[in-house]
Amino acid sequence: MSKKEKSIMKLATAFAMAFGIIPSAYAMHIMEGYLPSGYCIAWGAICVPFLAAGFFSIKKSLRENRKSITILAMSGAFIFVISSLKIPSVTGSCSHMTGTGLGAILFGPSAVSILGIIVLIFQAILLAHGGLTTLGANTFSMAIAGPFVSFGIYKLCRSLKVNKLVSVFLAAMLGDLFTYCVTSIQLAFAYPSEVGGVGASAIKFLSVFAPTQLPLAIIEGILTAVIIMALETYALPELKSMGFSKEVG
Amino acid sequence: METIDSYAYESCMRGISPGFKAAVAAGALLFCIGANHLWISITVLLTMSAVTVWFGGLPLIKYLKLLKIPLGFLILGTVAIVIEFSARPFGYVLFHWLGYYVCVSKIGGVIALKLVLKAIAALSAMYMLVLSTPASEVIGVLKHLRVPKLFIELMHMIYRFIFVMTGTQRLMKQAAVSRLGYNDFRTSCRSFGSSAGNLFVVSLKKASTYYDAMVARCYDGELLFLTEEKKVARWQIIAALCYFTVLLLIFLLVP
Repeated sequence: MSKKEKSIMKLATAFAMAFGIIPSAYAMHIMEGYLPSGYCIAWGAICVPFLAAGFFSIKKSLRENRKSITILAMSGAFIFVISSLKIPSVTGSCSHMTGTGLGAILFGPSAVSILGIIVLIFQAILLAHGGLTTLGANTFSMAIAGPFVSFGIYKLCRSLKVNKLVSVFLAAMLGDLFTYCVTSIQLAFAYPSEVGGVGASAIKFLSVFAPTQLPLAIIEGILTAVIIMALETYALPELKSMGFSKEVG
Repeated sequence: METIDSYAYESCMRGISPGFKAAVAAGALLFCIGANHLWISITVLLTMSAVTVWFGGLPLIKYLKLLKIPLGFLILGTVAIVIEFSARPFGYVLFHWLGYYVCVSKIGGVIALKLVLKAIAALSAMYMLVLSTPASEVIGVLKHLRVPKLFIELMHMIYRFIFVMTGTQRLMKQAAVSRLGYNDFRTSCRSFGSSAGNLFVVSLKKASTYYDAMVARCYDGELLFLTEEKKVARWQIIAALCYFTVLLLIFLLVP
């Protein structure tokens, strides 16, 4: 083998290893210790206003109805359990939903920011997905950016009179894709490329995670639509009492 | 579902004050990330793992399995950092494709090694805490740090409900599998969706039952838990101070 062929072989082996040993494709939690300290603090600070808004909105709804505390807690646990379940996947590797798109459609994005950060803390300390120092960055991508986009797309589609299940599918899928883009950009800011800067680095992160994240986003969309379908069949009164789907029924 | 804190209940370090363990773990974590220093990462990784395995009594095999959890992210992320695309060659060129050179820069390998060790060391510091402290005690530490009451209350309840729901979910999955659900991709999607929907309905019903049960026990907006008093011994403080002095010395003296 020539020197060039050797290096191609090396790279191919590295790629095969990288894609072969991935034990499970979780949504993109940045792992503990992966971000430099400055970025940990900065992303945490960016989350603060959203979390404060979520906190006050939850407080307000609790003042009106004290009973919703257990419903909120159940919803948080629901997001956690949904995201910890293995989902059907085409490739055979086991993957997981984020569940935050579903949460945003059901409970609104501001409540999901608080539930999301609690779910992320538990994912870090119970399942070792994500971490305590990267909590700020993960909260921004998964509990704030994704849910807000999901919610916005859902509202937009509904006002454009798009079929309900299609809107749910689009909202969950695009929310998931947006989470993946935000995480890639967060990583790119922390580790800019030597030649192309932040932009080139973002493209590298996007392409490396694409094989696991793109199918995941589509499956997340399908499953969220199926869940909403099931909920409308079994739980219309409960959904209505939570303010979801006024136009149905 | 096997959660990490199920090991915490068996840990030999459960008797140590959770606040103290959290402070040591946080200190080591901050040292790792703040210093970004190869030898500090190695020291923290070795010491924290040793503490968890020796003092905590966790079998080494299990510990290594736990360290492997974020491996996928670690490999993919580091590949993305190390490999560069450029129009002109630099560093070590791996190959040339469509007018672009795929290269690894000369310092790329060193940066990657430092980053991987730092991340694993930070993980081992976090594990020292969560493999010896059940989640309810970690929440207790947050309470002492004056995190808002509502937040703490939600955390306590969510933690409990996670296990309630996992149990329900397991039964539902068993029922679905025994009726030919989860058979191929299509039925898997259907079974998953309808059992998730059903899980949500069941959990809403349970939520209202739990609320009634709480009100029946005089719940008026504050959950009170009986927590064990665990005192910090003097030798523990001295050991922790020595540990951080050593880390500081490594940071200052080793280049």
